[in-house]
Amino acid sequence: MSTVAGTPSEQGIEFFGRMTASISHEIKNALAIVNENAGLLGDLALLMDKGRPLSPERLTTLAGNIRRQVQRADDIIRRLNRFAHSAHEPAASVDLGEVLAFTLALAERLATMKGITLSLAAGEPVTVEVRPFVLENLLWLCLEQLFAAAGSGATITLAAEAEGGSALVRLSCSAGTEVAAVATGVEEGAGRPLLAELRARLGVAPAGGELLLHLPVRRIG
Amino acid sequence: MSEKVLLIDDEKDFLEVMSERMQNRDIDVTTASSAREALALVEKESYDAIILDLQMPEMDGLQALERLKAINPELQVILLTGHATVEKGVQAMKLGATDVLEKPADIQTLTEKIHKAHARKIILVEKENEEKIRAILGSKAW
Repeated sequence: MSTVAGTPSEQGIEFFGRMTASISHEIKNALAIVNENAGLLGDLALLMDKGRPLSPERLTTLAGNIRRQVQRADDIIRRLNRFAHSAHEPAASVDLGEVLAFTLALAERLATMKGITLSLAAGEPVTVEVRPFVLENLLWLCLEQLFAAAGSGATITLAAEAEGGSALVRLSCSAGTEVAAVATGVEEGAGRPLLAELRARLGVAPAGGELLLHLPVRRIG
Repeated sequence: MSEKVLLIDDEKDFLEVMSERMQNRDIDVTTASSAREALALVEKESYDAIILDLQMPEMDGLQALERLKAINPELQVILLTGHATVEKGVQAMKLGATDVLEKPADIQTLTEKIHKAHARKIILVEKENEEKIRAILGSKAW
């Protein structure tokens, strides 16, 4: 990911490319399992022809495996479709918790590749007026830098809450994580135009280990 | 003689079905769901071919390939990936991969590549034995 601040649209293309590459890999994995299960059905039919018995339970298991992977691929494609549409959606009032949950779903595979677990803390609904794609992009930049700072084995928890007249996103990791460096990296790098568009700012919790994203509830202009 | 293959992939459903298909083709398959598990197996056992997923948690396929080759440079590693960019493919071949196949793969093509990897390993082992014999013959005063 580029570390040079660009315009939101440049960032958007980079973010879109990164997420769709990851999603296409997930789909390929599901298709590979469907392909092998279908191939195994063919193998078993040939073996049955040669006299090896084949139980109905075996066929039921294989059908179940295929159905599970089709469901998995369908979930991934639904996510891709929602993500694709979010790229051209104008600013709207959205539930912040829902945007966090969706961003975590997008980032989950990339987090797993780094040995990191992502979780979402339950909280009261908070509505913000944003372009969801821009917020997802900014959250991803924060997460990506947190992956590197927190390291393999870490858990990153996201939470949304109301903060007076504005909204707050907490990105919590273990106390020793260098979140101040992450905040600086995002603010001075690729996140700058996104923070400006969202009129948001980043901070660090005094206790450490927590990156804070302050968002206005309403857009101006 | 059946080929001895180590299949490495973090998708357990894939490992299960692929290993059964390989066994149906008289291939002796061992599975590993992580690069770490595979490295431990390669330290102890010898395999005719290794089928390695390119993208895995913690240690990706290219890192794993490097580590496997460090343990035994003659290992025949076939990379199986859902993410086959030309760049990654070239990188894998430079690191000593025998072949790169894209998921979903055709079992016939994969089986052929395993046979070829096995044949290549036999040639390498024979060459190594020949060199050892020559070294012994050269060191003896007959």
